[in-house]
Amino acid sequence: MKKIIILPLIAASAAFLTGCGTDAHYVQTGGRDSVVSLDHIDSQDFIQAAGDATGSLLASGVLDRVKNPPAILAMSRIVNNTGQQIDMDLLTKKIRVVLLQSGKAVTTTTFGLGGTAEDPLAKGIQQQNEFMNDQKPARLPDFTLSGKIIENASKAGDTRQNTYSFQLTLTDQQGLGVWEGEKEITKQGTRSSVGF
Amino acid sequence: MKTKLLAFCAVALAVTGCHTPSMNTVENAQKSGQKTMVSDQRVITDSKLNKTVNIVGVNTAMTPGGVLKVQVELFNNTRSTKRFDYHFEWFDQSGMQVNGIMSAEQTDQVEGGESKFVAGIAPSTACKDFRLKLSEAP
Repeated sequence: MKKIIILPLIAASAAFLTGCGTDAHYVQTGGRDSVVSLDHIDSQDFIQAAGDATGSLLASGVLDRVKNPPAILAMSRIVNNTGQQIDMDLLTKKIRVVLLQSGKAVTTTTFGLGGTAEDPLAKGIQQQNEFMNDQKPARLPDFTLSGKIIENASKAGDTRQNTYSFQLTLTDQQGLGVWEGEKEITKQGTRSSVGF
Repeated sequence: MKTKLLAFCAVALAVTGCHTPSMNTVENAQKSGQKTMVSDQRVITDSKLNKTVNIVGVNTAMTPGGVLKVQVELFNNTRSTKRFDYHFEWFDQSGMQVNGIMSAEQTDQVEGGESKFVAGIAPSTACKDFRLKLSEAP
């Protein structure tokens, strides 16, 4: 009788100890084994949104229209209208890297929103250089990149659905939006999971 | 009586719950656009996936920005919806792979009897060749 009770207990305990977790391991960033969160923008979402926007921007040919290529790009404000805190570099840095590698655009690190420089030391050196060598002020950016991330949540019973909209605009020196891109990513389910 | 009710429920479930939409399409017969089809080289290791997400053809175009755009037509030969993962890989003139966000894994789905296009844009003008990888979504 005791055996009948003890054996299933041992089996259940063993299953609990071994089967209810996975050891820490590496997965490809943005790969198919990534965790998919329902109410959170995951790294694969940023990768997809940035990839989509960059592809559209490169394909448009807008960056080739400047007089002295490569185009100079300055980062403007990207508004976060979601419920989560977002470091915008998760989106913009990916775009900047590909644009730089493509040879079509470079990003200024000394010209920022409200006069703040991304790299204050570089700005100091630039100003010093201009003063010492009696040079003209640095070339103004050809374009600025601004945008917004919007979250739209809905629910039906236990099923939740979140749509994240990544909207980006490239504005030229005349203040005209010369390129716009939007990528929507929708996630649906009752709970977060692993894998696409 | 109970058995009859259960059987009715089972039949109702089978009829309503298992129905997946199949696709009917219509398009203009005389096409204005001319596709530049490319001869492709395929490696099929998942024949089941090849039936549900069958590669019909590949065409390419140069964008105004001078980067290569690739479009692959897929067709679902079955009557059920199929989810799949895909990503493009890009190679430069020396055959070296150019990694980055433009090769990110994406998930899509194709309805039964539906023809669908997936497209990719090269990350730079230096990219001359490509490879599309398709796999069954988990």
